Amino acid sequence: MKRTLALVLTLLLTLSTAAIQPALASDVQSAAEEILASKEYLNVYKTSFSSSYPSFNYYSTAYATVRSIVANCIDGLVEPDIYGVYVPSIAESWETNEDKTVWTFKIREGVNWVDHEGNDTGLPVTAEDFVDGIRYIADPQNGAYSLRVVRDLVVGLYDYYWALDDIDNPDVETDLVREEVVASFDETVGVKALDEYTVQYTLTSSAPYFLSLIESSMLLLPVEYDYAMELGEDFAVDNEHMLYCGAYYISHFERDKAITLTKNPLYWDLENVTVDTVEYQMIPEGTTSLEMFRRGELDYTSVEAEEYLSMAGTEWEDNLIPSERSLSTNYLWLDFQGENPEFNTFIQNENFRKALQYSLNREAIATLRDPVNPTRILRNTINAEDAIYDSNGVDYTDYEPLKTVKETDYNNPELARQYMEAAVAELCEEDGTIRGIEAGTVDYLPVGTFEVDGKLPVTIIYVGTDDESEIIMAQLMKAMVEEAIGTDLVDFQIAAFSGWTYGTVADPLNYDIYFDSLSTGYADPSGLLTRMTTDGVENVGRYTVPEFDALVEKALSAATFEERLQYFAEAEAYLCEGAYLIPFISSLRGYYMTNSMPFTSPLTLYGNSKYKGTLVMEEALTYEEYLTLEAAYDIARAEALQEQ
Amino acid sequence: MENAKTPNPILDPLKFRAAVFDNIGSEDAGFSNYSYWRSTLRTFFRNKMVLLLVALVLALIVMSLVYPLVSDVDPNKVSLMPLEWNLRPSAEHWFGTDALGRDIWTRAWYGVRNSFALAFCIALSDVGIGMIAGALWGYNKKLDPFMIELYNIMTNIPSTVYLVLLAYIMNTSYLTLFISMASRGWIVEARFFRNRILSLRDNEYNIASKCLGTPVWRIATRNIIPHIISLIIMEAALCIPYSIGSEVFMGFVGVGMPVEAITLGNIVNQGRASFTLHPYQMLLPTIILCIITVAFYVIGNKFADASDPRNHV
Amino acid sequence: MTRYVLSRILRSLLTVIIVFVTVFMLLRLMPLTGYFPQEMLKEADEATRISYLRNQGLLDHPFVQLGRFVKNLFQGDLGRSLTVYPKVPISTLLQEKIPVTAAFGFSSLVLGIVLGVSLGLLMVRYKDRWGDRLGTLYIVTVRAVPNLIYLFFIQVWVSKWLNLPLVYYKDRPESWILPTICLALGSIAYYALWLRRFMVDEENRDYVKFAQVKGLPKKVVLRRHVFKNAVIPLVIYLPSDLLFIISGSLVIESLYAIPGTGGLLTNAIKSQDNPLVQVIVLMYAVLSVIGVFLGDMLVAFVDPRIKLTEGE
Repeated sequence: MKRTLALVLTLLLTLSTAAIQPALASDVQSAAEEILASKEYLNVYKTSFSSSYPSFNYYSTAYATVRSIVANCIDGLVEPDIYGVYVPSIAESWETNEDKTVWTFKIREGVNWVDHEGNDTGLPVTAEDFVDGIRYIADPQNGAYSLRVVRDLVVGLYDYYWALDDIDNPDVETDLVREEVVASFDETVGVKALDEYTVQYTLTSSAPYFLSLIESSMLLLPVEYDYAMELGEDFAVDNEHMLYCGAYYISHFERDKAITLTKNPLYWDLENVTVDTVEYQMIPEGTTSLEMFRRGELDYTSVEAEEYLSMAGTEWEDNLIPSERSLSTNYLWLDFQGENPEFNTFIQNENFRKALQYSLNREAIATLRDPVNPTRILRNTINAEDAIYDSNGVDYTDYEPLKTVKETDYNNPELARQYMEAAVAELCEEDGTIRGIEAGTVDYLPVGTFEVDGKLPVTIIYVGTDDESEIIMAQLMKAMVEEAIGTDLVDFQIAAFSGWTYGTVADPLNYDIYFDSLSTGYADPSGLLTRMTTDGVENVGRYTVPEFDALVEKALSAATFEERLQYFAEAEAYLCEGAYLIPFISSLRGYYMTNSMPFTSPLTLYGNSKYKGTLVMEEALTYEEYLTLEAAYDIARAEALQEQ
Repeated sequence: MENAKTPNPILDPLKFRAAVFDNIGSEDAGFSNYSYWRSTLRTFFRNKMVLLLVALVLALIVMSLVYPLVSDVDPNKVSLMPLEWNLRPSAEHWFGTDALGRDIWTRAWYGVRNSFALAFCIALSDVGIGMIAGALWGYNKKLDPFMIELYNIMTNIPSTVYLVLLAYIMNTSYLTLFISMASRGWIVEARFFRNRILSLRDNEYNIASKCLGTPVWRIATRNIIPHIISLIIMEAALCIPYSIGSEVFMGFVGVGMPVEAITLGNIVNQGRASFTLHPYQMLLPTIILCIITVAFYVIGNKFADASDPRNHV
Repeated sequence: MTRYVLSRILRSLLTVIIVFVTVFMLLRLMPLTGYFPQEMLKEADEATRISYLRNQGLLDHPFVQLGRFVKNLFQGDLGRSLTVYPKVPISTLLQEKIPVTAAFGFSSLVLGIVLGVSLGLLMVRYKDRWGDRLGTLYIVTVRAVPNLIYLFFIQVWVSKWLNLPLVYYKDRPESWILPTICLALGSIAYYALWLRRFMVDEENRDYVKFAQVKGLPKKVVLRRHVFKNAVIPLVIYLPSDLLFIISGSLVIESLYAIPGTGGLLTNAIKSQDNPLVQVIVLMYAVLSVIGVFLGDMLVAFVDPRIKLTEGE
């Protein structure tokens, strides 16, 4: 309790020192201080998750829950503070060369790995543990998840990985011997332990965003290699088969039911760990977690749009807080190489794409997610706003011409109809037959087969999951497109597919329009844009846009970070303007209620949230308190960012 | 014993007359004018409750067939105005509108029609095929090991396995849904009937009939089917609500129907998401579903009672 | 007798083998893309995908895979899950999950039989009167109203009303009550429905009429004669509930956050987790065959009319 108090005081101090601002600002600060001081704080935080968590192997897991748990249990080199400024974590200090291709980290001495009971193993966290992390993911047999960014960024890692893969592959003739290649790791791969407490990464290209990559990617976390190797496949299958160096260790693990994080008594930054225990429970049904929050059995719950409406007028009305931000964007993929001859002919035509783009009423779609204030969900760009800043603090999405895209209102049914008529004039005969194609059957199995007649209206096959809310969204889109363009020119069909859509729908191109989302992974547009080039991995629609590729190339070889952002902005605007894909809203949904004090834990923009510093109250936060705290925080954050 | 056949020697001629020998009538002697089916129906309809329920079900069916023909409201008409979503019941929309402003009253009738047609086909195939297979199985000893094996295999392969596979090779359509739902029900019914038939087959009167040379089909139609008819009706009646319910599961594994198709299962499933907020959206479909189930259950039970010859007196 | 039992055992074994091999081969018909986590499929080029599949042994001929599985099985190694719980040993999974589900399954079955049989008896005793009608109302409600609606209602309102926890906790016995009742609702209706049906059928038999004419009170007739005979068809299916006990309920386990086997098989099939599906199918097949076998044995035991004849 004392420690919590100390932390509150330091927080107050930071807030007040930031307040050498005008009178209004200081009012806000004192109001925020009052709120902070008026609460009682607890040292247990109870939260929930909805899907099962398979293993804690942070290198290979694809599950958000596991990643968020591990983020609290294994510390990386650096971490963001409450304002999102990178501060030392396991690394005490770091430096980089002029073009940001070599990063050197000085590692904190005296940090030891602990086991699942919080006992000291006597094994220190050293530079070698970070090298071993890369060594672990570099072996194809360990099945690292989302490896590509790191594999292509660290010098030599790409060749090393494929050499090992060739050896394992009986179909490939190779003279290489596994042991020799493995032995060459320290020579060839650009990650080195210069001494026991200094690790250096050498990168293939300039990476000013490298610290945000450390925050977001699990692949750059350390591992006690001998320990992991000894366990083999058992490594991190449960809490007893892994070691911890973060603020918490996993003290209790009951599969598909419960998990408990307990404060690591040997943690290097123990005094800033405010919550002693974090209890996770599995609650598969969303409505249950809301009810449990009301009964005080949880400290956090999300509140969906429908639930939000039902709580108007109840005692909880004041506690509903709109979800803050989402770096993830929802968009529609348009299939440029699909089997549907009608759609395929039209999609190559820019007028048709624009007709689709202008026919969507984005605000109505957003109303499904937030019935009160839908406009905050709208997003026309691929990369999120408030996520990437240049060194002057200018938001990337405010670079022209991306700014124009960001601010355009694309809801214009008349324009959509005009664009469509232009497309029809270019592609169809007088009698409505589409030039150059014949009637036939489109085989999109397992989704289904569809008959097309080679005449207007153009058949569009939208494929989505059978999730109830997604079907409703698709049906709304159908109504919009058909109303704006007219059923004489388009025939919008919805096919729902149950189960895993990426592998069976998106990847084999079994769709005309497909709904998906992508998120900005770290503080650089390259995270998304380099993967969306003509031969990029995220180019699910298989478009060919050489202009975009060229702009991305230019951006990558740009001299300064600002110039880089400028080229990226042009590239992104080109893709959106040409409607090669249609971003329309962010993934933000609904509201939440919480018992934790906002702005007290690290601002993890790109990675997973951390409980370090979180203050848990006895009662739910009200929206009013939230707004006061937010105002004070915004001032303090602007201050902090400026200092940086 | 029939009470004394010996006539009283002293007859009062005022009370008794000598009968003329009726040649044709004497042939009739062993028979009454008892007709099994007529008696069954008479007993069945004697119950007021049953009459009411039969009328109700008929009304539902007629309504669901006629309404889509006469109504000009498009059940799939989505409103682009969020203000028209989730409307409460009003004069214009008797049961309100759903999450996209579609009229629930209209959708419910389309749903009843589609679900009912599907459920009826499934009940027919399950009980029909099941009964024939069950009869063969029960009557033919050579078939027994084979059928038992088939039953064990079919009931042991989790339906999800082949449903997921089926979803990969077939379109989402009513036919696919019918095939997947009807593919296994029959064998369960068959085993059920086989067990009943086995215990009936060896009854004394059947053995007697057999000894007297009555053909098997005659024994089956006269002696066995009337006994299991109650079970058939009841199974068929229970099949209908059950198949409406399992639409939802089929959707879950991916062999559901097209998104645009309106069925009771679909409607109830959609309404479930917003049940706490807009309970009235579930009201009509659930009421109809309940009426169907209750009606068929009660009708099935009463018919079963009525079809038992021992209740005909 | 012994010969019959032996041949039944052999045939059951055959069933299990056929079921298992069929499922094993069917699983191999699934598209290969199903074996990848989404991100991996996106990231991976053709070569990476193939190397992943090869490392998992998914590219070998199905019979080679079958052979490997059987060999490992006899060495007591059930393998590891592939996609649902990547790399977790399946034996660990089953050890964790089955006891939870079985505890609920068993207690709800007992509850179901006790209440179901009592309700059935009550309905027969008061046939065509209020007892019967109320029972019918219950049975019909359970069957007619989509179960999610009343399950949800029970969870939220009944738990509030009785002040019980919303979800299951291992160390709070009061949290076990609602899920057990929810699980039993269906079987109560099932037992009541069929017991009533069979007893009503039985009541019309001559021996019953005779017993009544003889002057036995209705209660005694029902208990001594009717019930004994009517319960036989129900008893046949009792051992089949063995499977029900450990296979759990998807909906109820999800509502009450019970870490059991409820959705395990469906999830595994949908995620194409072959090793897990195989083991579960094998286990369920064995149990269900045992159930049927025991059922038949039980019939021979309780129904004196059915005799196991030697050499048919």
